[in-house]
Amino acid sequence: MNSFELSIWYDEGRRCTFYTVLKENADENETDAFFTRFEEVSSPYHDDALALLQLIVAVIGDKYGALDDFFNRPEDKAQALPPKPNKFIPEVVALGIQFPLRLYCFRVSESIVVLFNGGIKSAASALDSDDLRFKFLEAQNFAQRIAQEMAEGMIQIDKVNNRLTDFKGNHEIFL
Amino acid sequence: MKSKVAERMLANTTEDIKIFVDKYADLIVRINEILKRKNLTQKDLADKLGKQPSEVHKWLHGEHNLTLRSIAKLEAELGETLLEVPTVHRVSDFKQTGGQVTYKVTVNRERIAYGRSPSVWTMAPKVKTLANVG
Repeated sequence: MNSFELSIWYDEGRRCTFYTVLKENADENETDAFFTRFEEVSSPYHDDALALLQLIVAVIGDKYGALDDFFNRPEDKAQALPPKPNKFIPEVVALGIQFPLRLYCFRVSESIVVLFNGGIKSAASALDSDDLRFKFLEAQNFAQRIAQEMAEGMIQIDKVNNRLTDFKGNHEIFL
Repeated sequence: MKSKVAERMLANTTEDIKIFVDKYADLIVRINEILKRKNLTQKDLADKLGKQPSEVHKWLHGEHNLTLRSIAKLEAELGETLLEVPTVHRVSDFKQTGGQVTYKVTVNRERIAYGRSPSVWTMAPKVKTLANVG
């Protein structure tokens, strides 16, 4: 796997800091690349992307933090947003079962989440969805690498400031 | 620090999307919190609701739309409030004939939420006089 950098994507909420992945030699980080695809109003998934962004920055980032309630869609090492709805409760189905987008992420703690890329869910599984398959596999690799570095102490959590640092305390993290 | 892409898209997010996502998240957290506190599984809840398999299937697949009745059933089975509608309680609408005084008074009730605990209703300190005709 190529090298990548972990950089802050959004840290203006009170509850959770979001990181993203910037691949070596890439112009755009992975999470910006995801949302940019749906930024145009003409995109059929524009409103869905806005809703997902709202869930991330306002609900998780500022209101609740990265609670289990929002991370119940584990897909191997990585997780997918939005969460599955409480399936017996039809009131919360709209942003769950029927939601067409998936954004992969790795939950470090209730205060730190690393966002990756994602795409359009068009089949029952991510691997059967043409637009998701590669992003799903790539997210697993990112998540596995980050988890491994954390287990070895190469990435550490600054709980006071909701930040990740390398083993020397630097905020620039290259993997 | 904020992604420029996120900044642009947040600026274009309409109020209805913000409200929908916020309510959706509140419902998820609220229902899960009640189920956990009452030591109930989602299947227990379906059993308590006494749903036929075919009906549960529709619920499972999101073929039912939100109805006030379904929320009422959920609230009844869970014994907890899921949605609260702010109301203005008219406490006095007294009209005295004979050319003296007419008062219309409302008292606003405001909801104060303490973290994830159930919300608490409290009386607002102010009394708003709508009309005072001497």
